[in-house]
Amino acid sequence: MGATPTVLVIGGGSTGCGIARDLAMRGLSVTLVEQGNLTHGTTGRMHGLLHSGGRYAVADQASARECIQETRVLEDIASHCVEETGGLFVKRPEDSEAYFERKLRGCAECGIPTEVLSGREARQREPYLAADVDKAIAVPDGAVDPFRLCVANAASAQNHGARIETHAEVTDLLVEAGEVVGAEVTHESGPGKRTHGKAGTTEEIEADHVINATGAWAGRIGDMAGLDVNVRPSKGVMTVMNVRQVDTVINRCIPKGNADIVVPHETTCILGTTDEEVEDPEDYPEAEWEVDLMIDELSKLLPVLQEARTIRSYWGVRPLYEPPGSGTADSEDITRDFFLLDHADRDGLPGLTTIVGGKFTTYRMMAEELSDHVCDRLGVSAACRTADVPLPGSRDERVLDDAMDEFGLTSPVARRSKQRLGDRAPDVLDTDDPNPVVCSCEGVTRAELQDAIAGSGTDLNAVRIRTRASMGNCQGGFCAHAMADELHPEYDAEQASAALDDLYQERWKGQRHALWGEQLSQAMLTYALHATTMNRDEGGIAADETVDFAAFDGGTPDGD
Amino acid sequence: MSDADSPHDPGVPDDEIPDDEFEPVDVFPESELDLRSGADDCYKCSTCDTNCPVAEVDDEFPGPKFQGPEQWRLKRKDDADIDPSIMDCSNCMRCDDACPSDVPLSQMHNEARAEYVDGQMSKLSVEYWRNRVLANYRKGAWLGSKFPRLTNALANNGPLRKLGEKLFGLTAEREFPAFATQTFREWWAERGGAATSKERAREARAKRGGAQVQSEDKRVAYFHGCYANYNTPEVAKAMVRTFEHFGYEIVVPEQGCSGTPMFANGMLDDARRDAETNISSFADLIDQGYDVICSCTSCSMALRQEYPELFTFEGTDDVAAHTYEALEYLRIHEDLRGALDEAEGEDEELAYHAPCHARNQGLDRQAVELFRDLDGVAVEDVGDSCSGISGTYGWKAEKYEKSMAIGEEMFEEMGEADGQTGMTECPTCAMQMEHGTGYEIRHPLELLEDALVAE
Repeated sequence: MGATPTVLVIGGGSTGCGIARDLAMRGLSVTLVEQGNLTHGTTGRMHGLLHSGGRYAVADQASARECIQETRVLEDIASHCVEETGGLFVKRPEDSEAYFERKLRGCAECGIPTEVLSGREARQREPYLAADVDKAIAVPDGAVDPFRLCVANAASAQNHGARIETHAEVTDLLVEAGEVVGAEVTHESGPGKRTHGKAGTTEEIEADHVINATGAWAGRIGDMAGLDVNVRPSKGVMTVMNVRQVDTVINRCIPKGNADIVVPHETTCILGTTDEEVEDPEDYPEAEWEVDLMIDELSKLLPVLQEARTIRSYWGVRPLYEPPGSGTADSEDITRDFFLLDHADRDGLPGLTTIVGGKFTTYRMMAEELSDHVCDRLGVSAACRTADVPLPGSRDERVLDDAMDEFGLTSPVARRSKQRLGDRAPDVLDTDDPNPVVCSCEGVTRAELQDAIAGSGTDLNAVRIRTRASMGNCQGGFCAHAMADELHPEYDAEQASAALDDLYQERWKGQRHALWGEQLSQAMLTYALHATTMNRDEGGIAADETVDFAAFDGGTPDGD
Repeated sequence: MSDADSPHDPGVPDDEIPDDEFEPVDVFPESELDLRSGADDCYKCSTCDTNCPVAEVDDEFPGPKFQGPEQWRLKRKDDADIDPSIMDCSNCMRCDDACPSDVPLSQMHNEARAEYVDGQMSKLSVEYWRNRVLANYRKGAWLGSKFPRLTNALANNGPLRKLGEKLFGLTAEREFPAFATQTFREWWAERGGAATSKERAREARAKRGGAQVQSEDKRVAYFHGCYANYNTPEVAKAMVRTFEHFGYEIVVPEQGCSGTPMFANGMLDDARRDAETNISSFADLIDQGYDVICSCTSCSMALRQEYPELFTFEGTDDVAAHTYEALEYLRIHEDLRGALDEAEGEDEELAYHAPCHARNQGLDRQAVELFRDLDGVAVEDVGDSCSGISGTYGWKAEKYEKSMAIGEEMFEEMGEADGQTGMTECPTCAMQMEHGTGYEIRHPLELLEDALVAE
């Protein structure tokens, strides 16, 4: 085999992007296709916990060991995506003392450092902890931004020659002579960056090997080649609080249960979660009781949550998998381990490998194992380097604090920009043009938005996940239109409007689960503002009618 | 770590911490408060920004929404720096009043400013010491009032003022307020203090007759503040005589600065020191049935709002709940309008400016409403703009222009008003009114005294 081997990765989540980076760094020719934007599936709908492994230290020690190992790796290679918050396993009086001791022992067995705190010491670290919490175990949990991490992996893959196609849905697998040789892909607006209004196209992408990294969607891809991949999707709710009540990850120290974790994530706290098996990863009920459960249960750890403002809720679908015949009844008991399905060995269909199960924290390790397997199949001997080479944004550890002054940003905006951009901050923020803050909730400036638009076209949701713009307490009410405005003049008004509609819908999808108290007032204010200033309620004129703008410019029609 | 702090006492309940109530939040180091949750109430509506007098004249100023809920929400436990623009906030507190959603804006600003001064402002800088001296006006005033004539002469010596601007950043544009030759407290002591007041109040009650004669309730503790003591004792005397006229026994306990200029300059430790004195001094009196009366609306604002927001001394909430502005108190407890209806005023037309801090206490219309029925006196409200001086703010050389730009609207309205005399409750608003128009400025208590108290 003289030519560079080609690989097609299906799925732009953490696993897919991790694989694309790994293989591209090994010199393979990689194409990644994703049906939505990057992180569209489960990656974009997780709680942002970087596991120390403490959570698995009793029930699944193999996973726990992988977690602590990979957490250390990510702190190095993805420093701008990770916040080393530390975590606490908190015991309430009614929680089992024996389990607390087992947790402590389990952590020791897995090499996870711990410190036992009295209730008082725990409250000194996190003052909002309930007054009757009697003790806690401190572990090195962290918070990770899955969006930034995924995008950084994709960017690194691109830097190594990979082609990344978002909004590119696989509609069929190409099977020739009993072998998978590629896939048929529908580009929503043609290949390249997302461009609203541009016609869709279909493309057949051929590859020496195809990787199915579609998580909860893996069964569907399997079906296209007549394979049975028995993914058992399980949904979990995440509820987002407006501010950080805690700066440390708070876990409840109980064997298993719903609503037992609070993760400080960027400007917010995320409460999680539930575990309910669902039929279809795209169509499942988002129930109010799940949100209520989060607040009611977690208030036992943090009573302040009863009064605090919620800004949205979202659901993610875990791609749980178990080998045929395991027959586990409760989805919570299904292993969090990952499986590599070599369809040549398993089903006699070469050219396709599926990876399912696993968890976000160990995405890199999964990608490494799968890449080793594929390289082995393709006769490539290059070794994995992803654990040693930092991701774009985390390459340079030099202190940027002083340098941030020169960009004329107010302190908190400069700090948050720096945190999001890592070592890319000077490149992105160094502009001669005015650089106003466009999203004031999250402190996102025009230069950062323009950088994101350059990377993702008219997809404002992709801009959102890169920058956090529209993810604060107004949920885009005060900035979504300004974000769309940034698309001009590169894109025209209709494209910007269509992009804005998509962003609104996405923001509304989560916000509608938080419509009481302050967020209800916020939603009403947003509605009124948008209705009266942008005619979004189509009160006077239908959206598709042409507006005679000139009529506004000449004063009253009478010429008074 | 001492044994008492040992982490290895799992399962031992902490007796120190009451388990029913919320514990004071101490996320940020030392005494700093975590105000992030205050951002929960903000809908980003920007009403605060549109009501901010500084933002109106200074395009570089990011405004109260940024200084408050946005900056706090973006803050992390380990973030040390506060945006320097917090020093451009004048602490007029109009944002508090403007907010439709009870965001604790000025509390957020006060905390942020204190953090900034504590962590980022050089303790060797001229700015720090200039601000420290301004904030601790009381100390300088105490010294100055020992030699009032000499101090007055020096303070308004032209070349000296120029030098003050150059070396110390105090604007040379303003004339220093004169020190009284006898402070209010000296006058009070000379007059016989509380004993005399008791006597006079008793006489007044006897004269007024009726059931109130033996009332135990007519007792007030006067918080005169610094300015009425050192600079305008005539206001403090008017307070005393007017309250005695209505039969109130007055005491003038030991007291420090209310803290207003300290909050505004981020000198929270100084403010805490004086607040402790004030709270302990007045809380005792409240227990004995006294209410606290202020003649300066910024002082009453500090005791009522800022103390409970920033301090947790025993009695803080009690003091806040029992503090009133002088006119407000009389309007609540006495038939003040009836008394004025029968009285004769001197022929006077007044241009009245409501201080921002009076506005925040809902007192912005009281003087206009009160004097409406007093024959001979016409009071015209010059509108709801800010005077711009905001205590020490307008005294800083680099803020002077901004301060005057903010005051411009008030100066114009005063010019258009019929009266050629100004009136306001706030001593520094009075300075600004006088500085911008040349008018003499009076305090409503002085008018009340003139109309009601015949000595």
